[in-house]
Amino acid sequence: MLNASVPLISRREFLQTAASVGGLALSLDLYGQEAGFGPPRAPLPPRSPAAFISIGTDDVITIVTPAVEMGQGGHTAMPMIIMEELGGSWQKLHVVDAPPAAIYNNPFFGQQSTVGSFSVRGWYNELRRIGAAARMMLIQAAAEKWKAHESECSAAASLIVHTPSGRKCSFGSVAKRAGALPVPQHPVLKPREAYSLIGTSPPRVDVPDKVDGSARYGIDVSLPGMLYAAVKTCPTLGGSLKSFDDSAAKSGSGYHATVALPDGVVAVARSYWQARKALDRIGVEYNRGALAGLDSAKVSARLHEGFGKPGDKARQDGDVESALARAAKTHEALYEVPYLAHACMEPMNCTAVVRGESCEVWCGTQSPQDVQSAAARVLKIPPSQVKVNVQYLGGGFGRRGAGDFVEQAVTAAKAVEGRPVKLIWSREEDIQHDTYRPAAAIHFRGGLDGAGSLIALECKVVTASAPSFGRPGGPPFYTEAVATANYAIPNFHVTGVNQDIGVRFGFWRSVNDSHNPFMFEGFIDELAYLAGQDPYQFRRALLKDQPQTRVNAHRQLAVMDLVAQKADWQHAPAGHAFGIAAFEGFGSFIATVAEVSVSAHRVTLHRVISAIDCGVAVHPDNIKAQLEGGMVYGLTAALRGEITLENGAVMQSNFNDYPMLMMGEMPRTECYIVPSSAPPGGVGEPGTGPIAPALANAIHAATGQRLRSLPLTRHQLDFAVTRT
Amino acid sequence: MFKLKINGEEHDFDADADTPLLWLLRDELGLTGTKFGCGAGLCGACTVLIEGRPARSCVLPVAAAAGKSIVTIEGLARDKSHPVQQAWIQENVPQCGYCQSGMILSAVALLERIPEPTDADIDAEITNICRCGTYNRVRKAIQVAAKRGAEGSGSGAGPGSGSGAG
Repeated sequence: MLNASVPLISRREFLQTAASVGGLALSLDLYGQEAGFGPPRAPLPPRSPAAFISIGTDDVITIVTPAVEMGQGGHTAMPMIIMEELGGSWQKLHVVDAPPAAIYNNPFFGQQSTVGSFSVRGWYNELRRIGAAARMMLIQAAAEKWKAHESECSAAASLIVHTPSGRKCSFGSVAKRAGALPVPQHPVLKPREAYSLIGTSPPRVDVPDKVDGSARYGIDVSLPGMLYAAVKTCPTLGGSLKSFDDSAAKSGSGYHATVALPDGVVAVARSYWQARKALDRIGVEYNRGALAGLDSAKVSARLHEGFGKPGDKARQDGDVESALARAAKTHEALYEVPYLAHACMEPMNCTAVVRGESCEVWCGTQSPQDVQSAAARVLKIPPSQVKVNVQYLGGGFGRRGAGDFVEQAVTAAKAVEGRPVKLIWSREEDIQHDTYRPAAAIHFRGGLDGAGSLIALECKVVTASAPSFGRPGGPPFYTEAVATANYAIPNFHVTGVNQDIGVRFGFWRSVNDSHNPFMFEGFIDELAYLAGQDPYQFRRALLKDQPQTRVNAHRQLAVMDLVAQKADWQHAPAGHAFGIAAFEGFGSFIATVAEVSVSAHRVTLHRVISAIDCGVAVHPDNIKAQLEGGMVYGLTAALRGEITLENGAVMQSNFNDYPMLMMGEMPRTECYIVPSSAPPGGVGEPGTGPIAPALANAIHAATGQRLRSLPLTRHQLDFAVTRT
Repeated sequence: MFKLKINGEEHDFDADADTPLLWLLRDELGLTGTKFGCGAGLCGACTVLIEGRPARSCVLPVAAAAGKSIVTIEGLARDKSHPVQQAWIQENVPQCGYCQSGMILSAVALLERIPEPTDADIDAEITNICRCGTYNRVRKAIQVAAKRGAEGSGSGAGPGSGSGAG
């Protein structure tokens, strides 16, 4: 279909624009809400529409989306934003993934990565400007053809209409002429009340291909002459390859080659099953490396050691020590969470072919440019010599931002130069060589005055590893959802300690918000009980307008009020109990109520009610799907998610010992969206964090038992759901 | 040499007897709608219908499937017209979609056996893992398809009841 299209603007201009936009890349700043997140900083010209839109003479509108599709709905939401301003017909839409190029760098953080729930919120303004610029160019082309004035023309449903004469023409009939026009430097955006697409829920564009097996994921790539590869790497994290003996593999059917990796081996064969069998027959010796003595008890001990370190200041309001000294009641507690694996349904995989000084790669990735650089690194060639073909992702969740599997595939492809190689990980390799959500712990001290008001809170956040980015001098990244809390606490100190243990870590759906809210909202709940107050009302008081309250507290209050109202908080059904949790994350506000009953050691989850304020809700149905999906991801981890280590190796290997939530455990859910005209916030991740604290707080409400570590089923509890 | 009937067509395979059916479907026939998820029969991404019953093709050696009639997601209907597919589209079920071929075939088999399943039936029979958390939409879509089946002409939602090969 793309071949039938002509770009709206010439290829040359696209390339020039791509080069110039590269220089505008902003630095990564995840604390930028106050520091410039939001609309583009200056009224820059829009990025070239030709890089995002091409319109064929058959009127098919091809939208190039910088957000990959990993289930979060990027292939639908991103085109919606362009099409709203363009006035294109949704029925004529064709969506393709962007190749790696600077012009596709997210305006918020200057990288071409589908991460951090950044796609819609990072691109919302720019995609509207691009769509509007293209619409103005199409109108200008039609007006020139008709010798009419542009102001007398409008565009909708892929048609340009000259109102006075009633003349009409299709987008496709003037696209080529429009492409030769200069790009408007100041595109005029539609007024919000004129929106006909944003705020509606058209069918997701990727769904039809996902019901008949025709959707193509990275693992489905097939090329002429392609070989298949299976991989195993040192079970001990951080180990390296010492030697291998593949003499027993060579006689196997279809065997083609053995390729050494820095930390393991790859077996290449005519089919994948033959590669797997060959791999089993390769004897490998490893150097076990620096982590060989590491186990989960030592990880925990290292986290606890961190409490004794001064740490980096993340928030420093008032004087906690003197407030604690005069407090009527004080309380302290320690919370802890384990390592977690992503477990995307599609195991890591990558297909590559190396031809001389160039390389072509096919894979599902959250970061096409990182794939390019990973391949270039292996081959010692410029990244521009690597062509990347982005495929659908069978789950991303932060795992598919890494380049490890790309490096392996390219290494194997280099060894059989000229022939494509598809390298596929086993599930065991996937669980045991992930980029793990770090283990973490928080030690809290809190103090109440005689009236039960929270006057002092100290939080010492310790993580087993963390990225180094963040605003210089700003709060450590991993203290998010603690240091950024919206509660009004006059004396509030947060410090962060990074006890880097050396285990490879990564971003795991909702990152710090996947676990910090469990700990923080758990301790806030404890303080509510200490104050003898209802946990919902206690939080309300902390969010109500007070001098110390952050400006966004009212939005957090509104989502919390909504879930409390939907739950009928004051009237839990007989024998049932509620737990609540709320926070701000990814530019959105989220709250959840869990309704449970507990009998003996069996926790029954009756209902989960969630609400989000994500600013402008671009595709409400998908937002609800993301809230629910995020909740399942969080509930799975809350109940039994745990990666443990022994002798430096991960003890889990597949879904038998790293179990997932199943259909029979899926609770009833209700998802609500608070109407808002604020700039869009993220929706893919916020839903993950609140279920663990809401559930643990509900269990406390039902039993008086406070669960301060995850997974919850470690606390001699069974779990069930009911839908009645 | 193994003879299998896949989506109504006979195929001969020259493969090691222990080769899982999954990899023959994917690598030999290009039927990549059947997915590899765990290799241990745990997640259901590789579900196909064998003689109408759901089976996990990642742990099914070709020798054990020989002579059987197999339906993959590609064989359900040529034009996405199967009632279960239609219900899936209507309810916007898939997110990443990777597990959905297996989910759909499991649902087809369930509805064939129990045309109007209860929640408990769905819990018991749909044992596929979805990491995106689409379970409640899967449940809803199964109920929508069941309702359509009950209202329809009686052929129900069995494999091949669309216009495709069966």
